[in-house]
Amino acid sequence: MDGIDKNSEERKTTTGKPAVEKPATEKPAAGKPVSGKPAISVKNVVKEFRLYSDKASTFKEKVIFFWRNKYKGLAVLKGVSFDVAKGEAVGIIGKNGSGKSTTLKLLSRIMYPNSGTIEVNGRVSGLIELGAGFHPDMTGRENIYINASIFGLTKKEIDKRLQQIIDFSELGDFINSPVRTYSSGMYMRLGFSVAVNVEPDVLLVDEILAVGDTAFQAKCINRLKEIKSRGTTIVIVAHALGMIEQFCDRCIWIKDGLIERDGEPRDVIRAYTDCYMG
Amino acid sequence: MSKPFASVVEIYKYRDMLRNMVHRDLRGRYKASFLGFAWTFLNPLLQLLVYTIVFSYVLRSGIERYYLFLFVALIPWIAISTSITDGSMAVVGQSSMVTKIYFPRRILPIITVTTCFVNMLLCMIVVLVVAQFAIGLDFLLLPYLVPAFIAEYILALGMTLIVSSVTVYVRDFQHIMGVLVMAWQFLSPVMYSIESVPPKMKVVFSLNPMTSILSIFRSVLYYKKTPDMKFLLYSLGLGVFFLVLGWAVFGRLEKRFAEEL
Repeated sequence: MDGIDKNSEERKTTTGKPAVEKPATEKPAAGKPVSGKPAISVKNVVKEFRLYSDKASTFKEKVIFFWRNKYKGLAVLKGVSFDVAKGEAVGIIGKNGSGKSTTLKLLSRIMYPNSGTIEVNGRVSGLIELGAGFHPDMTGRENIYINASIFGLTKKEIDKRLQQIIDFSELGDFINSPVRTYSSGMYMRLGFSVAVNVEPDVLLVDEILAVGDTAFQAKCINRLKEIKSRGTTIVIVAHALGMIEQFCDRCIWIKDGLIERDGEPRDVIRAYTDCYMG
Repeated sequence: MSKPFASVVEIYKYRDMLRNMVHRDLRGRYKASFLGFAWTFLNPLLQLLVYTIVFSYVLRSGIERYYLFLFVALIPWIAISTSITDGSMAVVGQSSMVTKIYFPRRILPIITVTTCFVNMLLCMIVVLVVAQFAIGLDFLLLPYLVPAFIAEYILALGMTLIVSSVTVYVRDFQHIMGVLVMAWQFLSPVMYSIESVPPKMKVVFSLNPMTSILSIFRSVLYYKKTPDMKFLLYSLGLGVFFLVLGWAVFGRLEKRFAEEL
């Protein structure tokens, strides 16, 4: 927002006019950023879930009911296209079940689209699951290495960030105690510290996690701002509209698997609240 | 051809995850216990003690030093059988990670198999010490164990890749595997030697890729004879076949892991 990244500045002007793009098969709302590839490029993505009427999940059922093993395709995303420029912070809003979390899972390569392409440039990290791989009997320090390596960091990279992670977690001497002795708040704080210190090129956030006390939450928001100012691309899925308006450069409203609106957070959120709250 | 190559490169990039997770699984297993990591060695040692007592006093087998005869093949056998049975849960058991974080999924079965085989190496130290005291070791023969170990690792990895990915879709696979692995044990020269197998059954044993691997271990550590290495080529070939097949099957099935879990 302070115009640190040229791309985001560029993008802001192009997305300034709220672009309504109902038939999402059309070109993305914004043109290509002038310099470099976009951080994220989503084209005509369709995602269907298999809805088994009576899912046979065991071998026995599969053998006995092999003829019944039919499913209905439930289209969650029906052709979504958008680009995100480097350094841009995009908020995705929508009702429950509108496909916003699915979008995030597709971006992080946890799921794959049925058709369409998704291109993400650079290292992706997600504030989705905190404390993955933590072993309760191992110390906070040991768990930092385990957790960070799951994000794809090498030992050298973790060594470099270790102090930063420990400081941010505010765990002090507890860092050398087994994590089973931690309170749930401490556990989450450690997980959050690792996740935000991965220094990814693209950060995906699913809801602003209610981590720790108010002071730590404020610290988390500040940290996200700091990450953003460094030129990291951020995509946030949230129900907290105020947070999106305050934090994001752009907002995408997904309705029934299609992009309903894509533009200035203020405009999109106003349209969104008008639609659902009259 | 570029795609399988890219997936191998990606696994290499995540090598520190592999190392940390294997370390976690090995250390974490006994971390809360008083004796800690010593259990890694105590466990096989105590097992060996039980076998010695049982087969010296209860069940006389007629094979000299049967406890050692059994143990030098049992440790490698446990490595592959645990890889496969634990491996069936390698992906399913980590569902919270698989549905929320991206990392190359193949690393999960690789972690399981590597953990089992590192554990086997540690148990081998106990075996070597015991064998040295019981019958003495021929150290010049030990290098023969390296190719056998590698072939077994490749075979275990290939099979575990298949089992771990299929189990996501057909959960019964883990129970089926338990029984299949047990049957496989009785068709492998773990508790008896191939010489004592009736001639009719010899074909089955010669098709079993574990026969040559276990025979090499036994030949080096128990009989102290130069092992016959030519049958290992078959095991290695079959192992590579399973690895390529497993790599491909896993790659095909992993796309919908997050939805099936």
